Amino acid sequence: MSLVRWWSGLVLAFALLAVLRIYLPLPFAIEVIIFSIYTLGCSFLLGRVGFISFGQPAYLAIGAYATAFYLFYFGNNPYIGILIGIAAGIVGSLLVGPLLVRLRGDYFALVNLALAVIIYYLMQKVLADITHGDNGLWYLTNMSSTPVLDLTRPDQFFIFAFIVAFAIWVFFKYLDDSIYGACCLAVKVNEDKLRFLGYDNFKVRLTAFVIANTTTALAGALYAVYLGFVSPEITSPARAADPVVVTILGGAGTLYGPIVGAIVYTGMKDVVSKVIGNWELIVGFTLVFIMLAGEKGIWGSLEPRLNRLMDRMTGKRSDEVGQ
Amino acid sequence: MIDSQLLVSGFVFGLSMGSIFFLMTIGLSLCFGVMRVISLDQLLYYTVGAYIAYTVSLAIGNLWIGVLGGIVVGGLAALAVERLVFRRIYEREIAFSMITSFGILIGGVGVVKYFWGLVPRPVAMPIDAQIFVLGTEIPVYRLVVVGIAGLVYGGIWLFLNKTIVGKAIRAGIENVEHVEGLGINVSRLFTLIFIIAGGLSGLAGGLHAPLIMVEPQMGLEVLAFAFMVVIIGGLGSIKGTLVSSFLVGQVVSIGSLIYAPLAQMAPFAIMLLILLVWPTGLFGSPMLKK
Repeated sequence: MSLVRWWSGLVLAFALLAVLRIYLPLPFAIEVIIFSIYTLGCSFLLGRVGFISFGQPAYLAIGAYATAFYLFYFGNNPYIGILIGIAAGIVGSLLVGPLLVRLRGDYFALVNLALAVIIYYLMQKVLADITHGDNGLWYLTNMSSTPVLDLTRPDQFFIFAFIVAFAIWVFFKYLDDSIYGACCLAVKVNEDKLRFLGYDNFKVRLTAFVIANTTTALAGALYAVYLGFVSPEITSPARAADPVVVTILGGAGTLYGPIVGAIVYTGMKDVVSKVIGNWELIVGFTLVFIMLAGEKGIWGSLEPRLNRLMDRMTGKRSDEVGQ
Repeated sequence: MIDSQLLVSGFVFGLSMGSIFFLMTIGLSLCFGVMRVISLDQLLYYTVGAYIAYTVSLAIGNLWIGVLGGIVVGGLAALAVERLVFRRIYEREIAFSMITSFGILIGGVGVVKYFWGLVPRPVAMPIDAQIFVLGTEIPVYRLVVVGIAGLVYGGIWLFLNKTIVGKAIRAGIENVEHVEGLGINVSRLFTLIFIIAGGLSGLAGGLHAPLIMVEPQMGLEVLAFAFMVVIIGGLGSIKGTLVSSFLVGQVVSIGSLIYAPLAQMAPFAIMLLILLVWPTGLFGSPMLKK
C-alpha cells in the first residue's frame, strides 16, 4: 500500500471534520472531537481486543481530575495540565490493568463499571475536601493564556483539539497496520493460538488496555481544559454506557466509526431533545435496531461500500472489500 | 461504638434493601444461568413495576393491587421483549446481549418518560404501623418486604426442585443441549424463564416504590448495584444471588452507620476484593459460553 493511499483516508476524514466546523456551532464541533477521542478508546477495546467496558468514565475522570487538580491547586498552564492528565491515565491504567485484564469478558465489563462507581463516590463524597464534592472544581480564571495556541479561547482550543485528534488517529491507524494490532485481533479471536505463536497474551492485553484508557484519559484532560471545571457528574454511573453506545452506533473497531458515532449521537441528542425532549427513546431503539441488523454500525456498513465505489472509480479490482 | 438501637434499625434496613436487590437480580441471574444472556432490561421491568404500583395505588388507594399489576405488566413486557428481540440473539456472545438489552433499557426509559413524565413521584406507605424490636421502632412494611422476598425464594426453590419444569430449568443451567435432547421444548422454557424474571423484577419495583421516589431514571440508578450483586454471587447462581444481595444490603446499611460516604462505595470495594480471590464470584461456575 503506497504512502499516499495510507494518508488519504485520514486527511479526507479530517478535512471533512474541518468543513463541519464551518457549518456547525463551535461547541458542537468541539464536543464531537472530544467525544470521538473518548469513544476511540472504547472502540479499540471492544472491536480490536474484544473487551467490552462499561467503565470508560472512570478513566475519563482520572484524566480530567488530574488536570483539574493541577490547574486548581498548583499551576496555570493548560498544556502542562493536559500532560499531567495523560500521565495520570497511564499510571491509573497500569495500576488497575494487571488485575482487570485477567478477568473474563463479561466480568471485565462489570468490574470496570464498578470502578467507575467507586471513582464517582470517591470524588463526590470521600475526597470532598479536595474535590469540593458535587460543586466541582472551577478554575476557568486560573488558566493563563498560552502562546501560539491560546487554549483558554474556544476557537483556538478547537484547533488544538483538532490537531491532537489527528495525531491520535494517525497513531491508531499505524497500530492497526502493525504486528501488534494483529496480535490484539488475535487475542479477540483466539487467544490460545496467539499463545502458541509465542506471544504473551497478558502483555498484549495490558498494553492494549493502557493505550485505550490513556486515550480516554486524554479526552478527560481535554474536557477539563475546555469546560474550565470538573464535577463528579463526569463519571456518573448513568452515563457509563455513552461510549459503548457511540461505539456501536459508529461501528466497533473501525477507525472512523467513533467520529461518525460521535457526530450522530451528539447531533441526535441536540436535535431530538429539542423536538420531542425524549432522546433516550430514539437512542435506545436505534441501538437495538443496529444490533439486530448486524451490529456493524453506521460506518461499519458504509465502509465496504465506499471502498467498492472508490475502487470502481480508480478502475482497480476490489480485493479488499471482504475484510 | 454504635448505638444498639441504630444497629437494629440499620440491620432491618439492610435486610429490606437486600430483599429488593434479591428480587431485582434473580431475573438477571436466571437469564444468565439458562440462556447465557445478560438481560439488563430487567431493570426496565423494575421501573415499570414501580410506576404501575404508583398509578394503581393512586387510583384505587391500594398498593398491593398495584404491586400485582406491576408483576403482570412486568411479565408481559418481558414476554414481548423476549419474542421480539431476545429470540434472535440467544446464539450470540454475551457482550452482544449486554449491549442490546441496554438499548432496550434506555429506550424503555424513554417510553416511561413519555407516559409518566420526568417528575419524581412519591408513593404512600401501605402499612404505617411500627413495632418495637429490642427497644427499637421498626416500620412493619420493611419486615413485610423481607417476608415476601423469603416467600419468593422458597417458592422458587420449590419450583426448581419439585416440579418437572423447574428441574428442566436446573438442567438447562448445566447444559441446554442435553435438555433439548431429552425432548423438552427449550424455546418455550426460555420464554417461561423470561416471564418469571420480568414478573419478579416488576415485583421488586412495586415493593420498592413506597421506600423511594419513583422516577424514570430509577432503573439506571440501581444498575450498578444489580451488577454488583450478580457478580459477587456469581452469574447464574440463585443461592449466590440470595447471599450476595443480603451481604450488599447489610454493607450499604451498616456501612452508612459507620461512615456515611462509605455506604455507596464499600460494596464495590468488597466486590473487587472478592473477584481477586474468586474470579467468578462466590457461587459462580467457571464455565464459559462456547
